[in-house]
Amino acid sequence: MTTTLVDRYVYTALRRVPEQQRADIDRELRASIDDAVDARVEAGESREAAIERTLLELGDPDRLADSYAGRRNVLIGPELYGVWRRLMVTLFSTVLPLVVVAVAVVELFDDDVTVGSVIAAIVTTTITVSVHMAFWTTGVFAVIERTGLGQAELKRAWTLDDLPKYEPGALSRIDFGATLVWPVLVIAALVLQQFTFTDEPLLDPANWSFWWPALIVLIALKCVWAVWVYRLGRWTRPVAVANAALSVVTAGLMIYLLAADRFFNPAFTGFDGADVDLEGWVSLATIVAVALGALYDIVDVARKAELARKGRPARIPGTGNTYSVS
Amino acid sequence: MVLDMTTDATLASHLQELRRGTVVVASLTVLRTPGYGYSLLETLSDAGFEVEANTLYPLLRRLESQGLLTSAWNTDEARPRKFYTTTEQGNAVAEALRIEWARLDDAIGDLSTDPISTPGSDK
Repeated sequence: MTTTLVDRYVYTALRRVPEQQRADIDRELRASIDDAVDARVEAGESREAAIERTLLELGDPDRLADSYAGRRNVLIGPELYGVWRRLMVTLFSTVLPLVVVAVAVVELFDDDVTVGSVIAAIVTTTITVSVHMAFWTTGVFAVIERTGLGQAELKRAWTLDDLPKYEPGALSRIDFGATLVWPVLVIAALVLQQFTFTDEPLLDPANWSFWWPALIVLIALKCVWAVWVYRLGRWTRPVAVANAALSVVTAGLMIYLLAADRFFNPAFTGFDGADVDLEGWVSLATIVAVALGALYDIVDVARKAELARKGRPARIPGTGNTYSVS
Repeated sequence: MVLDMTTDATLASHLQELRRGTVVVASLTVLRTPGYGYSLLETLSDAGFEVEANTLYPLLRRLESQGLLTSAWNTDEARPRKFYTTTEQGNAVAEALRIEWARLDDAIGDLSTDPISTPGSDK
């Protein structure tokens, strides 16, 4: 038995059609193809050419099968796409950072921790967790799309309560979180570099008698300041003045220690072996960075306070735009 | 009228959007007298409906499963063919669709002939 071109086309199309419909569609599709071929032959084409043209016009048999079966050839259709996207955004913006930070912290307390091992842990965790979250979420949605299970619950009607509130305030919740996380990380790094990372601490251990605790207190005060601004919800002059004072003292302390060569640990060997005065250059670069950073912070907060005082349109957290809100 | 390539593609997609659904009205109307797949395809294309075989054949089965068409195999001739006929329900649906089509046609006609007075546009 040889299979003709029409046989091959019909078999391919029927493969993906529900079994109970196959016999009927087989018969009907063949009759339709034969009719079309006959019409072409009558019009003067050769039978072979007529068959080829007819099948080409019918097109991809897999698509024809989808059409017969009433299947949509999509993984996740427009009905579910919105829900899927929102869930993915939530997973990647909340679960992923939490897991990565947790793994990195656990790695920090490992006995033979190095900078490399922490970075490796962060990178591998980010990749593994991302792939798993994306794969399983998409897989579950594809199953829901095929079976229709639980679609009613997922496609909850949108209501006005779903609109974000966009509270006008000085700091959005995310800004606030970031302002708190930064000082905590700096304090953790300051304490941990004394005991882990390297054999000799990077920063001068002699300063633990006064300067490092003082720096920790100043950084903690920045957290208190952030809580104050967040609760207050406005950029005001006192807020700007307090910020400026705090920044000047913190930056001043660091610049003094750097300039007086009392910042880095004299016993730290990492700077040795270079032809140039590496410690001197690093100190200078740090002084410049600290000074510029503090200056930017002071000016930025002062500018926001001034705009708020004049009643100018201000950035509403979460919108990415500025609006006048009374 | 000169249309560049982009306008061509844009126009084609809008035409397709506009024609979608007309095949259903046309098929239900034509099949008031029984017909089979290929004959309907010919009738429609002669009447000026641009429809592809791979759209029409599955559509006929879908309309049948919705109860708008019935089908019966005719084995009297050498080539057995499946004949479709519009049901009473199919006729009612086709009638409703034709009325809507006429209403839209009137509405579009009104839009393009009447000078529309848009609220607030008066000087």
